[in-house]
Amino acid sequence: MTNIQVLLLTGVLFIGLYYLIRLKRRLLDIIILFVMVAAAVTFILWPDLTTIIAKKLNVGRGADLIFYLSILIFWFVILKLYARIRRLEQQFTAIIRNDALKNAEELDEKSK
Amino acid sequence: MSHPQQIHNSDILVIVPVYNESSVMVQTLTQLAGAGYQVIVVDDGSDVLVKKTIGHLPVTILRHRVNLGQGAALQTAFNYAKKKNAQVVITFDADGQHQVSDIPALLAPILQQKADIVLGSRFLHEGSAPIGFSKKMVLQIARFVNFLLSGVLLSDAHNGLRALNRQALSKIELTENRMAHASEILFETKRHQLQYCEVPVHISYTEYSKQKGQSAWDSIKILFDLVLHKLFR
Repeated sequence: MTNIQVLLLTGVLFIGLYYLIRLKRRLLDIIILFVMVAAAVTFILWPDLTTIIAKKLNVGRGADLIFYLSILIFWFVILKLYARIRRLEQQFTAIIRNDALKNAEELDEKSK
Repeated sequence: MSHPQQIHNSDILVIVPVYNESSVMVQTLTQLAGAGYQVIVVDDGSDVLVKKTIGHLPVTILRHRVNLGQGAALQTAFNYAKKKNAQVVITFDADGQHQVSDIPALLAPILQQKADIVLGSRFLHEGSAPIGFSKKMVLQIARFVNFLLSGVLLSDAHNGLRALNRQALSKIELTENRMAHASEILFETKRHQLQYCEVPVHISYTEYSKQKGQSAWDSIKILFDLVLHKLFR
């Protein structure tokens, strides 16, 4: 095994373990996690497999294919996070707004 | 033909969003209250409580505990106005760039029932507005961006002086907390098929209002917010 394989395997196994501890032990989550970790481990141990898939998709090297897919996935994740931030901002705004209106109403009541 | 409605200044809510303003704000509010308008100040989380500087004025103060942005401040005041059954609301900037004397012209189309929302424009006057070249270019681009996104072509963009009748008030719901609300008002106008028109207003550019105003960089941030707005409706 080469050094980079040791490094990547350690990383993948740690992340897998972390998720396994954090997950609420729903069967589906654990299956998805297991499949993803197994895929990562397989491609790290036999990197030529990615090249075979890449060739089928007319991409030169397996590493390039992984790079392109990562860009897509990161893009998707960023959009999801943005959508979430905007939702949070709207909830936050609603709380601050209700607070402002409630305080004004109390003042109105007092001055009556 | 419908007759023009009669309305007293005290039935008109003038909404002034403020955030860390200077003494110019006090002048603006004093003039508005002096003209008999019902003034609603939204203190958008200023560092120093606005109440401390204007507590003596006959105005209503709504305070956001944290700074949310001008769009959020306007919507808070809109909600307040709806609760109070306001007939007409005016939005007015606190930095001294708007003239209290422009308000009647802004109200006229609403009272004649020709419009649900009236937008102030600095470019409808004879001659040109006293405005720098770069600012003018930014506003021209902003006009066309607004047109592309909303289908509403105006002579001005991001003018803070507007009048809304009850119909507009009940329909328009601003979700853009920061400066992109000015374009969102146009989206909402189009979406709810509100009648709109523009009237000429005077803008006085002081050093202070220029410094408080939007820079070219801000317009890029606004554009970014608008794109996200369209993406995540």
